[in-house]
Amino acid sequence: MTILEKLNMIRHKHSGIRDFCIQTIRFKKLLENANALLDLIDDGNEKIRGEYILDRHYVISLIDRVVEKLGMIVYDACTLSPEMGEDLYAHYDANKLKAEELIAGKKPFVKAETFLNGGSDKTPITDPEYRLLSDVLSWFNGATDITVINLLKKACVDGIKGIEKIDDLKNQILSEQSGLKISGNPIYVVDLWKDAFAPVLKPRSLSDIESIPLKLLLMETLSESSSANTKNRIEGEWVVSASEYEVSLMNMNSDFSLRLDATASGYEKSDYIFVFTDNRLKPEKILPKGFHTEKTDSGFLCWKLDVFPEAIEDSLITIGRNIFG
Amino acid sequence: MEEKKLKIMVIDDENIVGKRLKPALEKTGDIVETFEDGEKALARFNESPFDIVVTDIRMEKIDGIEILEQINAKSPHTKVIIITGYATVEVAREALSKGAFDFIAKPFKPGDLREIIKRASKELRA
Repeated sequence: MTILEKLNMIRHKHSGIRDFCIQTIRFKKLLENANALLDLIDDGNEKIRGEYILDRHYVISLIDRVVEKLGMIVYDACTLSPEMGEDLYAHYDANKLKAEELIAGKKPFVKAETFLNGGSDKTPITDPEYRLLSDVLSWFNGATDITVINLLKKACVDGIKGIEKIDDLKNQILSEQSGLKISGNPIYVVDLWKDAFAPVLKPRSLSDIESIPLKLLLMETLSESSSANTKNRIEGEWVVSASEYEVSLMNMNSDFSLRLDATASGYEKSDYIFVFTDNRLKPEKILPKGFHTEKTDSGFLCWKLDVFPEAIEDSLITIGRNIFG
Repeated sequence: MEEKKLKIMVIDDENIVGKRLKPALEKTGDIVETFEDGEKALARFNESPFDIVVTDIRMEKIDGIEILEQINAKSPHTKVIIITGYATVEVAREALSKGAFDFIAKPFKPGDLREIIKRASKELRA
């Protein structure tokens, strides 16, 4: 390595690309924690159906684990968007207080006419453990403002806004000198792990990165130095950050905001697709069926998880086709 | 020929467990008695042994391991099934090493426990 290359390496330590990689990895951590949180909520919903023998210890432990995961998610979001920290922690504290009230039994139980299985089973909830679990599930995703899902949504949106705010980073990635642009295509590709540590020394090629989800995303659309069918393409420039099993995609235009994160490792428990679109882009335009969608003031949070790896793969191919045409 | 009814004892200081398990286990025609107090359960066992004892491991007055040891000493043929909580799988392993037939972690479906009881009854009748 020449002295010039070594100097480049040192300078690169403080580069926008490195920051971008770190932010992307942090957001993925937030999503991992969010997936684990959704698993806990699903577990509670499964247990309320009345088929299980459970005790108070299970319900208390469920509350504790949810509060712990929420804390991790809020921490991740604050790292991405420090200016939202105070607000995020205020929401977190409100949720913690709600959890403490539930454990202490300060909140009244659900109404006596509440039924198991979301009302389809006409067996009324009479056991205190089941009634507490029912209250806990209302806290998770009920009609009130202070719910776990509301905080999860806020943390995701704040985190995304934090990444999008880094203008220097965008400029650096989009500059011709970055070497990240794929020739003939509106796409810049960052190697999530390698580019964080060393500058890109030669123009990027798709073959530089062995990424399963990236290959799926681009399978029917872009190819090196070729112009793809532009009929269905969503116009704009895109930054993809990828590693062997992970991909993140964000558009770099100001007329709409779209972000996609996915893991495709072939292992059902860890694979997922997460998509955020702001209010200017309807998720139906790019997503196939089967996504869970949550509306927020800022846009739509959509995800698919706990499905067969093939379903993740097919979805990535469809999304790629819908975005890149 | 009709199989002999099993005598099953359920011990858990959480009222809901016995309350929900009793009707679920009686469906197969077995005789089920439930206890929230381990000492009372042991006193009852001393009066009349049971074929199968299903006991929670973590209880206030007397824990499941002690119940297991006392039952093993009194009636070695009795099969003891341990119910564990979320974070007590290590203790359940200890119970197995001390002679428990099997363990099941809460929350569980009654059908899962019935499967374990079915295996235990096969061994009892072998």
